[in-house]
Amino acid sequence: MASGESGQPQVSGDSAPAAPSPTLPPPEKPSAVRQRSYVVLSFWLVVLLLGLPIWWKTTAIYRAELPLDRMLKWADGKACRPVFPLQISIQADSLQEQEAQNLIRLTQHALDDLNDFSGHHLRLQLAPRNAPLPRDDFQTALTIRLKPGTSSSASLNQESAVLDITYPPNHVPSLTSPSSPLASYITNELRATFAEEQSIISYLLSTSSMSTGVRPQGLSAEAAEALSKRTTRSLRYAPTYHLTFSLFTDNALPNTWDIEAALDEYIRPMLEVLRPIHNFTIDTQVQLYAIPGVQSQVLSKDHLSSFINAAEWPLSPSIGKAPTVNFVIYIGNQTVGLDAEAETSRSWMIPQWGTVYLLSLPDTESHVSTAALKQPMLTFGGHLLTLMGTPQSGSLPLRLSTLGRIRSTDLLLRASSTLGSLARLSLALPSISIPRSVADGVSKTMHHLELACADLGGPEGLMHARIAEEEAERAFFEKSMVGQLYFPDEHKIAVYLPLLGPVFVPLIMGLINEVKKLIKEAKQKALDARTKKQQ
Amino acid sequence: MRSLLSFLPLIIPSVLVSATEYHEQLNLRPLPLSALLASFNFRANTSIADFEAQNFRLFPRSLGQILQYAGTRELHLRFTLGRWDAESWGTRPWDGTKEGGTGVELWAWLDAETDQEADEKWLTLTNALSGLFCASLNFIDGTRTIRPVVSFQPEGDHPNTTLDNTRLLHGVLPHEVVCTENLTPFLKMLPCKGKAGIASLLDGHKLFDASFQSMAIDVRPICPSEGECVLQLEQTVDMVLDVDRSKRPHDNPIPRPPPGRDLICDTSKPYHKPDDACFPVDHLRGQEWTLSQIFGRTMKGTCPLTDSETPPVCVHIPSTRDIFSSEGAHEIKYPNDDSLRCYHIEQEKEFTLILTKPEVPADGEAASLGIVKPETPVLYAERSFTGHGQEHGGVQAILTNPGDDTVEFVYMESLPWFMRVYLHTLSARISGSSPNTNTTTEIVKQIYYRPALDRARGTQLELLVSIPPHCTVFLTYDFEKSILRYTEYPPDANRGFDVAAAVITTLEPKAMNIRTTSLLLYLPTPDFSMPYNVIIFTSTTIALAFGGLYNILVRRMVGANEAPSGALKDKVLGFVAKLKKKKTAVAAVAAGGSATPATGKTEAK
Repeated sequence: MASGESGQPQVSGDSAPAAPSPTLPPPEKPSAVRQRSYVVLSFWLVVLLLGLPIWWKTTAIYRAELPLDRMLKWADGKACRPVFPLQISIQADSLQEQEAQNLIRLTQHALDDLNDFSGHHLRLQLAPRNAPLPRDDFQTALTIRLKPGTSSSASLNQESAVLDITYPPNHVPSLTSPSSPLASYITNELRATFAEEQSIISYLLSTSSMSTGVRPQGLSAEAAEALSKRTTRSLRYAPTYHLTFSLFTDNALPNTWDIEAALDEYIRPMLEVLRPIHNFTIDTQVQLYAIPGVQSQVLSKDHLSSFINAAEWPLSPSIGKAPTVNFVIYIGNQTVGLDAEAETSRSWMIPQWGTVYLLSLPDTESHVSTAALKQPMLTFGGHLLTLMGTPQSGSLPLRLSTLGRIRSTDLLLRASSTLGSLARLSLALPSISIPRSVADGVSKTMHHLELACADLGGPEGLMHARIAEEEAERAFFEKSMVGQLYFPDEHKIAVYLPLLGPVFVPLIMGLINEVKKLIKEAKQKALDARTKKQQ
Repeated sequence: MRSLLSFLPLIIPSVLVSATEYHEQLNLRPLPLSALLASFNFRANTSIADFEAQNFRLFPRSLGQILQYAGTRELHLRFTLGRWDAESWGTRPWDGTKEGGTGVELWAWLDAETDQEADEKWLTLTNALSGLFCASLNFIDGTRTIRPVVSFQPEGDHPNTTLDNTRLLHGVLPHEVVCTENLTPFLKMLPCKGKAGIASLLDGHKLFDASFQSMAIDVRPICPSEGECVLQLEQTVDMVLDVDRSKRPHDNPIPRPPPGRDLICDTSKPYHKPDDACFPVDHLRGQEWTLSQIFGRTMKGTCPLTDSETPPVCVHIPSTRDIFSSEGAHEIKYPNDDSLRCYHIEQEKEFTLILTKPEVPADGEAASLGIVKPETPVLYAERSFTGHGQEHGGVQAILTNPGDDTVEFVYMESLPWFMRVYLHTLSARISGSSPNTNTTTEIVKQIYYRPALDRARGTQLELLVSIPPHCTVFLTYDFEKSILRYTEYPPDANRGFDVAAAVITTLEPKAMNIRTTSLLLYLPTPDFSMPYNVIIFTSTTIALAFGGLYNILVRRMVGANEAPSGALKDKVLGFVAKLKKKKTAVAAVAAGGSATPATGKTEAK
């Protein structure tokens, strides 16, 4: 009230020297001044309390809550320490119970002493006497059959995961001796058998970000390079693979082949063995008048990559989810010349794709017989195992059980790193929307990852790792997230400015005037107070 | 006798491979004026057992896998361009069963227990075929798919039990432009590719330059009365070439008028004067071509897989005309059809045909054109839009029966949802009768109608119509054009929207197919800068209203003479005055400076 009255002469005093106006407006009523302040205030309250929240709500992007910390923990390998307890049962029917127990204790000691990689743990146990051989059992990785013989020898059974060891009778440890030649012999054999698996798994762990605490010890540079070559060559894990066998020829002959018989004889038995880990579907085709991408007689290393005429040859991946492995027989008398060796080869493998085999036949031959297909089919079988990522040493059953463990580790690592990428993506792009399905996928992935981690090396672990990987991929490649809408700032200005510009100019001007008036009043008050004091 | 003996060794191997066989044939049929119909037909069989075991030899693997994945029992796919001129070309090739409406047409019988399952499989099928044939088949969605009831019948032999569990779906894309990228996958599916046999004549430049062309792919199971069932893949290309245009050299494709002395004139015209006035009768001259001229390349032998009994090339032309074939080819004439000549060709040799000029008829008789006269079709059909304005329209189909028998047929329309059909306006009347006499019920025997749902499905209209001999029937109905949403317009909205061809399936006197041309429907199209205009316009209005209101509330009203002069105004005025002062000073300096060089110049002159 007082300020209103005191303010008025001040204004007139200011404007008087600049432009001496003949008349001054009558002084304003204090109630009008107060009303004006209320008007300005209420407008701003509406803008701030109603307009702003509505604008915020309607233009906000939905971002589902993601457990970022736990996701990053998985990616860093802090959530799970991959441990593979491998059960090895020993059948020693020829030994006394006590002796056998002692032997196992000694061997276990020796193994534990030598083991440098804690994740890969061999655990020995005594098999019940006269038990039948376990078949395709994931619980027991390997069975050792001890038999007395004349000298120490070991051989892997080709049919099942059994290591036959013969020992001279004098090598059996006595109940009191701290060491025994038989125990150390078994230890060495076991280490040799599992050396490759151990190095592959430690390589996988070391290349991933999960490497905390795991040093790839004893892994030389060359070995690591060979392993990296192997892993890049092998296909990504899938529960089902689709095999396509194709016969290509550059003219019209031959145009029939005994592929069904050849598959039954050479390929299907092998696929039957692989069935616990993968399923396979097969198709075959004959393609005439197929011109290769390279026309020279001797194919050098550079030619091999362009030999497949991808534009012309119908080698498109098969429809469906399963990845396709291609096996191509090309009828022609070209040879593959490698620089190092004088000898020539007839086939080569294309990493993550398949194999090409050059089969030379007489020009007039119109039919490819099963006999002619034998060598190509055997080559394809070998290459298929490599493309699956099977280790190279050991007997087939042992290699396959190793494959299962390698695949579980690989999938676990992949799923974890996908989770990490997703977490980093959501942190890096604050404007990306995260739908609910992604959050669901993430929680499912973590659930299955935990289950997989608890049972690594077993069939359950492989299954859970597979589901986790699938869910993680689905969450990461969520369609609505990938297609991030690009809405440039210029467009935002074009939409907002026509409305907000004209509306905000009076609002802001009004506010400024009001604030100016308040400041002036405050100053005036202070001045008044001072003059009063001086008086 | 000698020729028969030489055939014997060729016949024997074809008997051995009975379950899987391949067969190809090219039929050439000169048409009136300078048109030439070339029908390519390729047929490959595979036994059902091999197909299910996925051992592909003659059947393409890519298509086979799609069929298995989508549970397709029978498939028909058509790529068509141009219009068949029935008035002058007569009956359609294959009785119209191997052609589609302009654009792409697809219909298939899918294994499905429920309609929903059928829709899912249909989606898989269209998406996969879209990738295989480089066509936008994936745009065949629910709005372009119908389930015909009477128009289509399965062509293959299906056991009744499987047929009960299949669903027929039909989709059409009239907007699709058929081009070379669709031909390449088509050729890749042939066992001999385009490298040997009649397929070596197929060239994208010539095929898509044709006046009419249709590519068809049919897959159907065939069960012979004895022996095992086979799955048959039939690929057909029909093209009507303009011989004159095809013969133009590649490097000089612009047509030029022939010099006056080469013109063939109709001497019977009263105004005919040599070297002065001429009524040209070029088109009555008769055709003359070689195979390599019209296709732009020669034929490279035969495909070795083809069964040797079928002659690969046949020409339908009166026996009076002379045709020369290249060496090694063997001509066969058929006693029961003297206008048909076929050729057996040696495997590795190039082959060409030469059709010579017809002998000049005595005294300029125009009667003999030297071609087999085209057969009159059972029915002529045309369809067009009527009405005006942006809101309502009408469709009129003119169906003419030129023959002596009553024609009975099914008229099927698959219309987009934004064309709202008023079925009660459907009327059919025979030409000549007055529009008021209601003959609709006599002509249209049955109606199957499935109305459209906005943005979900289109209209399906199937009419069973019968037309008495020598009558023309006008079939009309009205529709309303709906207004689309802003985002539903295509980028070229002002071009209009394609409406698929009507499919006519005749039942009596013989079964055949006719398709009308597709139509271009013009919908009301908004100005697409409108949203920004609207934003700015409404914003300005709101801002004006708001500003006025706010100022009245906040400002103080005083008398005009009481208003304080604004500080800003003073400042601006002061600045302008300053600027004026400066400007005059600068101008004075500039005038003084520029005067000297100017005078110097004039002096030098």
